[in-house]
Amino acid sequence: MKISLRWLSRHVDLTGIEPRQILADLTMSTAEIDGLIRFGDGLEPLVVGHVRKREKHPDADKLSVCEVDLGSAGGVVQIVCGAPNVAAGQRVVVIKPGDTLPASGGKGALKIKVGKIRGVESQGMICSESELGLSEEHDGILVLPADGPNAAPIGARFVDVLPVQDWVFEIDNKSVNHRPDLWGHYGFARELAAIYGRPLQPLPAKVAFPPAAGSNPGIKVDVQVDDKQGCPRYCGLVLDGVQSGPSPHALRWQLAAVGQRAISLPVDLTNYVMLDLGQPMHAFDLRHVGKGPIRVRKAKANETITTLDGQVRKLTDQDLLVCAGDKPEALAGVMGGAGTMVAADTTQLFLESANFHASTIRRTSMRLGLRTDASARFEKAQDPANAEHAVHHFVRLLQQYCPTAKPAGPLVDPLGFHYAPKTISLRRARLLQKLGVRLEDDKVAAILRSLAFDVTVTAAGFDCVVPSFRATKDIAIEDDLIEEVGRMFRYDNIPERPLQGVQAPPVRNEELFLGRRLVEVACLELGASEVYNYSFTPDALLQAVGAFEHAYVQVQNPVAPEQTRIRRHVLPSLLGSVGQNLRAHAEVKLCEHGKGYHAEMRDEHKLPHEVRELAFVWSRRDGAHPFLELREAMASLLERVGRPAVMARVWHGKDQPWVHPTRAVAIDCDGSPVGYVAHLHPGVARALQLPVTTAIACLDVRALLANGRSVARYQPLPTFPQLPVDVALLVDEATQVAQVVEFLRTTGRKLVKDVQLFEVYRGERLPAGKKSLNLTVTLGADDRTLTDEDEGKFLAKVRENAVQIGAELRG
Amino acid sequence: MDTAAQRDGWLAAIAAAADAAALTAVEARLFGPKGEVVELVRSVTSLPKEQRPAFGKAANLLKQEVEQALAQKRETFAQQAMQQELAAGGFDPTETGARPKRGVLHPITVVQNELVDLFTSLGFRWEDGPEVESEYFNFDALNIPGDHPARESQDTFWLTDKNLLRTHTSPVQVRTLQRAVKQGFQPPLKVIVPGRVFRSETVDKTHEHTFYQMEGLVVDRAHGEHGISVANLIHTMKTCLRVILERDVQVRLRPGFFPFVEPGFELDVNCPFCSGKGCSVCKQSGWIEILPCGMVHPNVLQKGGLDPEEYTGFAFGMGLQRVVMLRYGIDDIRQFTGGDLRFLQQFPEVSR
Repeated sequence: MKISLRWLSRHVDLTGIEPRQILADLTMSTAEIDGLIRFGDGLEPLVVGHVRKREKHPDADKLSVCEVDLGSAGGVVQIVCGAPNVAAGQRVVVIKPGDTLPASGGKGALKIKVGKIRGVESQGMICSESELGLSEEHDGILVLPADGPNAAPIGARFVDVLPVQDWVFEIDNKSVNHRPDLWGHYGFARELAAIYGRPLQPLPAKVAFPPAAGSNPGIKVDVQVDDKQGCPRYCGLVLDGVQSGPSPHALRWQLAAVGQRAISLPVDLTNYVMLDLGQPMHAFDLRHVGKGPIRVRKAKANETITTLDGQVRKLTDQDLLVCAGDKPEALAGVMGGAGTMVAADTTQLFLESANFHASTIRRTSMRLGLRTDASARFEKAQDPANAEHAVHHFVRLLQQYCPTAKPAGPLVDPLGFHYAPKTISLRRARLLQKLGVRLEDDKVAAILRSLAFDVTVTAAGFDCVVPSFRATKDIAIEDDLIEEVGRMFRYDNIPERPLQGVQAPPVRNEELFLGRRLVEVACLELGASEVYNYSFTPDALLQAVGAFEHAYVQVQNPVAPEQTRIRRHVLPSLLGSVGQNLRAHAEVKLCEHGKGYHAEMRDEHKLPHEVRELAFVWSRRDGAHPFLELREAMASLLERVGRPAVMARVWHGKDQPWVHPTRAVAIDCDGSPVGYVAHLHPGVARALQLPVTTAIACLDVRALLANGRSVARYQPLPTFPQLPVDVALLVDEATQVAQVVEFLRTTGRKLVKDVQLFEVYRGERLPAGKKSLNLTVTLGADDRTLTDEDEGKFLAKVRENAVQIGAELRG
Repeated sequence: MDTAAQRDGWLAAIAAAADAAALTAVEARLFGPKGEVVELVRSVTSLPKEQRPAFGKAANLLKQEVEQALAQKRETFAQQAMQQELAAGGFDPTETGARPKRGVLHPITVVQNELVDLFTSLGFRWEDGPEVESEYFNFDALNIPGDHPARESQDTFWLTDKNLLRTHTSPVQVRTLQRAVKQGFQPPLKVIVPGRVFRSETVDKTHEHTFYQMEGLVVDRAHGEHGISVANLIHTMKTCLRVILERDVQVRLRPGFFPFVEPGFELDVNCPFCSGKGCSVCKQSGWIEILPCGMVHPNVLQKGGLDPEEYTGFAFGMGLQRVVMLRYGIDDIRQFTGGDLRFLQQFPEVSR
């Protein structure tokens, strides 16, 4: 929404205050301002000229050669002009050679030079409104008054003669959504009056209408409101003697300054009043409304109306219509019907100034995708009192521009508006409690009064009567008054103060800290890189991982039709990140920490079951499978967070089909499952075009948390040196490492301090179906240094007993 | 015994050794198996008994002398070698080694962790809430009833089960209050809630449908005339912004409307790019909007189970991407969820 400084100045005297200062003060007290624009910028060089003589161009039918007197600004010059309306005796706007016409309407700035047009020299240019950027009018040049009190003096600067230049504030509409009173200039003028302590001009006095009854009731169209909730007030008035031609310059340019296109005087005035008071109005050609009566009713389901933009709108029984008789004339509060608008020959108007229910209008406008200046205002909950003010305002303005116009009948206002003023008490103590600054009573009362609250200072504080234009929506409770005081006092003037009170260490949310630590260790120590993926998982990805048929929480209004599903697990989306990275890197190690939702399980609020997972994908284009590295990384990670893992059994999960069915190890902590580490299912690898050398892992953070943290126990350091012994055992493929380790421990009894696998050898030199497990056994005793003899005895025993596990000691 | 000639020959051989290798050869000749010095010492056994002590003594002295000469010469070569090594040229200070393979935290994680550390040090609890949220917690409990226009401006992702993807982290305000009240409320309550939120927007360089916020909530008993006030809010926010933005920020607090606070504010910081003079980043205003905040609306306290006459509080929300983008100069918001290591690895630092 654009707000003009010139316009504001009609309501409050702002002389001596810089536009930038006004912007700053409105920002700090009232609304967010997106920008400040100079309307009519660059028009300073233009001067008023007098066309002394006009002759047809010798070589061009449509061109005129004019002798133009610029007075002190340049004397008499010859200008070639192409406008059809140029004539001798006119006062016109001229730009001289050497000056620049500012850019407008998509055209760049134009530097004027002396030139020849079809052989005739032209020393400048006579300008049209569109060339000046003042309107879209380009049928002819702009003609200024040549006589009378408003005659434009020859040679004067155009911008000094007519009210063109203006400062325009661009208001961020979102910042005034809660302020119905700020949807017009008058509301902003009231704010500025309060900010600067200057008086606000009252609204113009009421007009006297012909009485409703009596000898000559004039022309009256009855109004019948069927839906009083949808339409709390409807004022209708018939006006006669109206001229519906174009509006005078000043009005047109005032509208242009705030971005409103000029149409015709009656329509321009409805727009003017709306932009002034925030009250949308509609001017019907009376011929169209006929004898009425005007009826405001809900539409019937599937009823249609053609709106004035030519669109046929299909309605529901929630939409509100303004009808003449039963014929729909307007989509109430949103847009008029086609053909109802004022035409050039319209002399009688039916003026509508109504109040419509905010939610009704908003629903209709949202559903139809039809947002208009009117709907934007009604949906903010306009003050019904404004409906009547607007009628008086309109009539006064109309009579100013068109003295023949007069109300033809009484103001029809069947529902009226009876505002029972609401009083809200603002307690002094509460004000201090919430703002944290002590304010003098006089100051508080003055602020509230400047905003049109009627204030009585009481023992406890301030009793405030809320004006009707603040009562529809935003001022409802004491805290709303605190805001009024705070923003006018300026929050910036409140001195800062540290929080007081007990400083106990905050309760730790262990789940969050555990999640954080896991990610930190994974990334900073184990070399994983953390990625974030959307919660939406594309259908194609879910199909590729074989999980499309699972139960998902789904979005009704997805960003894309194939992205309705909210992930159950983090891993599939992480798999989606691998391919692109493998193009740039031979090896990637990714992890993601996030949430998944299971639609089939619900909590007490009917929300889906939530899991918090840390997923890993380690993938190589070729070379060794990264599975074992990831396995050890998981072991190391869980030790770091004090939850050492056991990985000794094959994982059989049900709902994660991307896991290799046989090459998957369950991760157990304290006897309960907390995750898995596995090969990626080769089918999924194929579907996603990932190498089979891809390992995956998933930790369920909440399952991990359910098991306590184990604190490491100190072990005394060995007094005597330990003896590492390498052992190579030839075993069947089916023999597990854990069996062999157990065998070595049993065989060496308490001399065995540690057993570590360092290689599994499979090769041509071994018999088929066999593998060689190469391990380092660390021997040690608490009371002596071990010798070669001890090693020999141990190895002999291993050799002898190896048959127990079907093994054979090699070498 | 005439060993003088032998002695002179040996010492001359040592002196004549041109380098360490030649010296080693001399050493082998003298002290190796069957070495000349060794043989000399051993030859004592072939002498009559009475000559042995004198000869032995002299031979040992001689041996020591030769050993010493050898050690001295070796030391000279070692010194020479070290001098050479120290004087060596050809060293390239730009020659690189093998890089350790290292991972990175997501830049939002880095900044979020910093914020968590900061606020927990100020006594705030770090809390969390569901991303799939009920209409009640996301809207109704936050003073945004069914026909409130604020619902539309939030571009909600609605779910087929009538729930929604939370549009802000604010639902955790009421969740936390309700939980605290259930457990016997012990004021003050100070929480932060960083997390993922969703708005149905078309994604481009500056818009995302998935983004990250951090909610903050402080509630305390109103003590006489003092409760949690705007004055506390200003102080807390200034403290926080100074730490995050690593400079002595100027802030300004201006009106802003959010249904769940009253009064509500927008908090701006002076633009870091132009020091408040006005530039394209701050749209010539000199200020950057960074933090919507306000005093908790009485209706929200009530929904949380507290009497707004007894308690007051403030709340704030912060867009984490915005902070991250400001810090690192990132101009494309899509990178955060792009999963591209070439982006992520540009930010190797860890939380301060």
